[in-house]
Amino acid sequence: MSITRRDFIIGTTALGAGASVSAPFFLPKYHFNRRPKRSRVAILHAEQYSQELYQVLLKGLQLFPLDVRGKTVVLKPNLVDYLPGDAINTHPTVVLAAVEAFRHLGAKSVVIAEGPGHQRDTQLVLCQGGYEESLRNEKIRFVDLNRDELIRTPLRASYTGMKDLWLPRTVLDADFLVSMPKIKTHHWSGVTLAMKNMFGIVPGARYGWPKNILHWKGIQESILDLCATVPIHFVIADGIIAMEGNGPLNGTPRPLGKIVLANDPVAADATCARLMGFDPKRVLHISEGSRFVGNADPTHIDQAGGAVRPPTTPFRVVPEF
Amino acid sequence: MFVGDDRNGSWLTSLVAITLRDFVAAIPARLKGLNWLLSNAGKEGDWFWRWKFRTSDRHVRFNPDKFGWPWFPDTVSWVVPTTFAILALNQLPCSCGGFDLAPSRVDRGVEMLIDRACPGGGWNAGNGVVYGAAVAPHSDDTAIALLALRDRPQDSLLETSLDYLKRTAPTLMAPWSLAWAILALAAHRRPITLLRRALLTFADLVYVEDTSTLALACLALDHEHALINLGVTP
Repeated sequence: MSITRRDFIIGTTALGAGASVSAPFFLPKYHFNRRPKRSRVAILHAEQYSQELYQVLLKGLQLFPLDVRGKTVVLKPNLVDYLPGDAINTHPTVVLAAVEAFRHLGAKSVVIAEGPGHQRDTQLVLCQGGYEESLRNEKIRFVDLNRDELIRTPLRASYTGMKDLWLPRTVLDADFLVSMPKIKTHHWSGVTLAMKNMFGIVPGARYGWPKNILHWKGIQESILDLCATVPIHFVIADGIIAMEGNGPLNGTPRPLGKIVLANDPVAADATCARLMGFDPKRVLHISEGSRFVGNADPTHIDQAGGAVRPPTTPFRVVPEF
Repeated sequence: MFVGDDRNGSWLTSLVAITLRDFVAAIPARLKGLNWLLSNAGKEGDWFWRWKFRTSDRHVRFNPDKFGWPWFPDTVSWVVPTTFAILALNQLPCSCGGFDLAPSRVDRGVEMLIDRACPGGGWNAGNGVVYGAAVAPHSDDTAIALLALRDRPQDSLLETSLDYLKRTAPTLMAPWSLAWAILALAAHRRPITLLRRALLTFADLVYVEDTSTLALACLALDHEHALINLGVTP
């Protein structure tokens, strides 16, 4: 069969057009690969919020080859709102134990920073959530990320299509950023853990309360863009009392008795998801994040302490998940 | 905000328009800002999104025909930016000169606030019911919404919302929410003497670094002038 010049031109034009239409669907949306060869996770056992958590956490941190001496450590808890009796926020006892532990390990400074996504009165959340008094007594600096100095920051992935975001200087200048989520279900993203916790660094003063622009650009997509742009160096997830059901605000407390430590946010989230009785592959930002942010595959995760034992009854979620 | 402008933080347009009210030199800029406000609406302002919210996207219970203003262009309406836009547009001396749409947009915004109220009174950031669960009101969102509803006749929603605010204000442990509560209760002619005293004696007020909280505390302590400038007459 011979191909005429006309056939050749038509064929190559069609191929070119097809490639230009389909290429965006196949090209990777991340601009780098930060995924380590191996990640490390430790599951610590803790039944209640007590003063003993400092020792538990310090021993847990010593399972990792961490060197925070002389570094500025920023702890980013999950503070959303306050409802009496609910397990919405990272418990202050865990965060204060982490401050003490990182100070003990030689950090130059330890700052707590958060930009609540729902309640605009950050000080009220701190007061009602039990943080305010300890911050004052222990002389711990807190930065409201909703109102911090901002830097226009190019995004290092293109899942949302946004080119840049204004992000707080406190987070961008941190030597060591620790995501400290509450282990919870989420009615839209399935779970809200270390990666989703990064929504709190997006400033309300620019984008409003809640940070609705991220919802419209896609929650999972926004999580991926944020985690690509701002590296999380360590995770301490509060699962002593977790939340199931209609999270992140209207769920019900569920005792899990665990604190999860990890040097990789994807490994942390995948482990937490398994502890909740979910397959991490079902959570888009975990499965996609495992391509370039961290490891979700258990064969690439070293279990430094504790074992992943899924619960007999998985965490309740809204039917849509 | 116009072509080429940065959309980030554009919700501040309403507050800037209110702030510039008495500055003659700022009239052109202020009118431009108010014009932009009229061209901006929550996503529900678009027929396609109204249809989608009514037919398929029903996790959040609200009437999409009633819309106000978003925090950020191309997102849905929320209580706070809607209230600020209502207060700013209410300061127009007339609906002439290209502002003929202002009264209907203000009315629609007020309807949106009423539609999004929490079932037991008061307001949260947006809707009152999400995934079938009633959400709890916030003091600051409730106070801000009440400022926009000052001229409405007293009805059960206003009564329950004011009751909620009167009940919670004395327990507030942060100056931001307390200051908003003082402004709203003063606007609705409720007693605020003890609340002002509480704000003045806040131990932490001198340590507040956030300028917006400090400014708000000053407004609450001089609430009569503040309400006049907001266009809310008690």
